Amino acid sequence: MTERAPECCLDLRGTPCPLNWVKTKLRLEEMEPGRRIEVIVDQGNPERNVPRSAKMEGHRIVHAISQNGAVRICIERAEESAP
Amino acid sequence: MERVYFDHAATTPTRPEVLQAMLPYYTEHWGNPSSLHLEGVAALEGVERARTHLATLLGADSDEIVFTGSGTEADNHALAGVAHALGDKGDHIITSAIEHHAIHDTVEHLGRVGVRATHLPVDEAGLVDPDAVRSAITDRTILVSVMHANNEMGTIEPIAEIGAVCRERGVLFHTDAVQTVGHVPIDVRRMNIDLLSLSAHKLYGPKGVGALFMRDGVTITSYVHGGGQESGRRASTENVAGIVGLGEAARLAGEEMEQETAHTSGLRDQIIGGILGAIPDVLLTGHPTQRLPNSASFCVAGIEGEALLLDLDQEGFAVSTGSACTSGVSEPSHVLLALGLPPDIARSSIRITVGRGNTAEEVDRLLEVFPRIVKRLRDMSAHRPALAERVPHD
Ligand SMILES: Cc1ncc(COP(=O)(O)O)c(C=O)c1O
Repeated sequence: MTERAPECCLDLRGTPCPLNWVKTKLRLEEMEPGRRIEVIVDQGNPERNVPRSAKMEGHRIVHAISQNGAVRICIERAEESAP
Repeated sequence: MERVYFDHAATTPTRPEVLQAMLPYYTEHWGNPSSLHLEGVAALEGVERARTHLATLLGADSDEIVFTGSGTEADNHALAGVAHALGDKGDHIITSAIEHHAIHDTVEHLGRVGVRATHLPVDEAGLVDPDAVRSAITDRTILVSVMHANNEMGTIEPIAEIGAVCRERGVLFHTDAVQTVGHVPIDVRRMNIDLLSLSAHKLYGPKGVGALFMRDGVTITSYVHGGGQESGRRASTENVAGIVGLGEAARLAGEEMEQETAHTSGLRDQIIGGILGAIPDVLLTGHPTQRLPNSASFCVAGIEGEALLLDLDQEGFAVSTGSACTSGVSEPSHVLLALGLPPDIARSSIRITVGRGNTAEEVDRLLEVFPRIVKRLRDMSAHRPALAERVPHD
């Protein structure tokens, strides 16, 4: 299962929408399809918007875990390159 | 007549690949990067991708890049930003005698609000001595600003050594790298750089866009106040297409630097060898080897640089005398005077800066007409100094 572990972690606490999503997207673009990234975002709008944008571009949300006022979101890169 | 452009230190042509990358940001993704909707996000994506490309070229983190309206603005921002932010810590800036006007005049302006400046001299090759920087630092010093390479005579300064001195003494170090970014390798970490200015149009990007690298942890006062763009560090709606162009130019430069340097330095050396070999009483200005790969600059004793420029222009060659910003003014350049050259010799300067599009055949053609024009101009002027006796030697 090691290949399924998140490839990198991006700490986006304090980074507003939609910059948090754009930074996530640029990182996803550098990754192979099927690989995973974990991003940490603030609760509230970021916690809703980042997964929503990721899904809109075909990526899969593996999980989202609330922790100490922030949310860890694990995203799996889409098989097809993002539109 | 076919034109030959030999003035790449003044500006470079926008690369077609760069223009192609920019166009969609005028035609499709013209949204405001601060908007939350899809149109905004598409524009923001362009800006952020460019930030990543530029950061990679400098060995920086993308959060350390602030886009500006030009290299000049980045210089102004760095100097005024430090002076304001650290005003209670000190009031002394160290710079060099050969800086571009964007630094030189900003330092002078800050003098009116109480900032004192030390202008370090250079040797006859145009080098700043890192030990002189060390000696000039006092407990009131808040910033050292020394350019990476000089735009008029091409000398590359020992900025890694200067950076190390500044880091050791706990003083911020800024470098104007407008002439080097994309042409000479830069690693902001290894070179201990805190602040660095650059400009897109010197690396085959568009005019009117630049950037300031600000090391993580360095907080300086904003220069343009207003909205919260660039994480609050530079207000105003982003020049999205321009920034995208800068990013693409940086990406291409990083990929092709080695190849391009081999090409341009070959042409540069062909020019230097050809001119020094064919014409008596010509002086190569700047350092013989530690110089920009694209820059050949000379003083041609006995003639006005501007007359030579205009005659070359008529023959189809675009060159420069001194800095593009100072040409048109008949005052000898402060840079050439700082090398210890007499004013009349300094007025005889000519700068030939090559680029990726130039060829050896173009240089051959220049080397054919150049000596002929110099001879005609010298024949017209009665006065002909013996250069060797009049310029400083080591
Ligand atoms: C060394 C140096 N600094 C600053 C600048 C100014 O850059 P910009 O034209 O982007 O304002 C130039 C360009 O002439 C330059 O050569």
